[in-house]
Amino acid sequence: MPRDSAAPCLSERATGMALSVLTEILQMLEALSESGKAGSIDLRSLPLSDADRMELEEVLGRGEVQAQLDLAGESEVWETTYPGVWWIRHKGAGGKIATEEISVCRIPEILMTHPVDIEVAAARLKQELETTDV
Amino acid sequence: MSDKKTLGEMLTERGVSRRTFLKYASYTASIMALPPTAATAIAQGIANARRQSVIWLSFQECTGCTESITRAHSPSIEDLIFDFISLDYHHTLMNASGHAAEAAREAAMKENAGEYIVVVDGSVPLKDDGIYSTIAGITNLQMLEETCKDAFAVIAVGSCATFGGIPAANPNPTGAVAISDIITDKPIINISGCPPIPEAMTGVISYLLSFGSIPELDHLGRPKAFFGEAIHDRCYRRPFYERGMFAKSFDDEGARQGWCLFEVGCKGPVTYNACATLKWNGGVSFPIQSGHGCLGCSEPNFWDMGGFYKPLSTAKGDPLKWAGGAVVAGAAIGAASAAIARNKRNKVLKEGK
Repeated sequence: MPRDSAAPCLSERATGMALSVLTEILQMLEALSESGKAGSIDLRSLPLSDADRMELEEVLGRGEVQAQLDLAGESEVWETTYPGVWWIRHKGAGGKIATEEISVCRIPEILMTHPVDIEVAAARLKQELETTDV
Repeated sequence: MSDKKTLGEMLTERGVSRRTFLKYASYTASIMALPPTAATAIAQGIANARRQSVIWLSFQECTGCTESITRAHSPSIEDLIFDFISLDYHHTLMNASGHAAEAAREAAMKENAGEYIVVVDGSVPLKDDGIYSTIAGITNLQMLEETCKDAFAVIAVGSCATFGGIPAANPNPTGAVAISDIITDKPIINISGCPPIPEAMTGVISYLLSFGSIPELDHLGRPKAFFGEAIHDRCYRRPFYERGMFAKSFDDEGARQGWCLFEVGCKGPVTYNACATLKWNGGVSFPIQSGHGCLGCSEPNFWDMGGFYKPLSTAKGDPLKWAGGAVVAGAAIGAASAAIARNKRNKVLKEGK
């Protein structure tokens, strides 16, 4: 984010919010493990400084699964080094982050194919097979 | 006109996947301060909704509100709202003009009776039978009453439509009033600001589409998701305020260091809006981050609040005491000015009819 040198913000300073978020993630992860209950945290709704966000991203890291989505702008989804803890980043106009959340679940809904899209895909492939010589 | 197909059916035909709906729903949930888990319900609600007919009326205004909602960015998630609505009438944006434009408004009202949304920017002049602003040979008052008669809901956007705004500023030569002073039998959502934050406008329309109901509003009829907290509450300069570190002028050391702008007239403590969190121009900045105090543009009578560069409190002594007093005084001023404005508008309404 561009910074106005005449009006320095406090974004370089860590405020301790990362630790609070990590504690909440732990509670959600335990709930997922014990009862299968999923949870989410909207990072945009929290007063995180840039330093807090970096700290959170560093602690969680990037794990085995990473996906890039092309949906009205880019989106990124990755499983952190803590299985079951997913980071979802949706970008909007100009590649800026439109929304960002931590999802604690087996797999984020955004990665799953919706039944309607499966139905449409089947119809489309059927039509393709009927009209082309494969 | 509104399509009889659902938005899900319509956009699926155009190759828009349900993942895209979900992404938009996540974005809407975030800006409306709903839990991320609400995204699934929002996506389903939008997919099942019909394309929403919207009639946009522009009265005594500057077109800044339209500029805000149609901000020139590349097509992205924020712009999907324009696939979800059928903008059946808008002076500035529609191709048709003259009789054809008015015919489009009348047709939309007839075909979508009881279901269309009226968005209004600008205040309505009542003095001298409302002759100070007319469209298609009728006064703004006549057009507003006629168009809102069969509406599902009315969204007043911008401080002119919500509180009278600049046209209603002292001495209010045209007898300008807010939409809520005229329309009293329909749900009205006020999205104030000069102009309003674009996400506040699109977020409310998405909420209406998803849930078919009005979001929670504050005492001035504004959605709490955007107007629930004062600018001051979420301002990144607040730590300086807490420490009593204030810029005394726009070119002093305090201003250069980014200290609190309270003493150079910032109205952040008494202004409720989401500028400090959503920011402007795609999240780049907001007035205080750019070095200028908040003008209080989303509050009633902001133009007559005593001067943009005058501190909220003129008491002498400890700045922290001033500030604390100012917050209380500011809230009282806000309440009092709202009451005065309402009385003033009621008087004008009586005189105008």
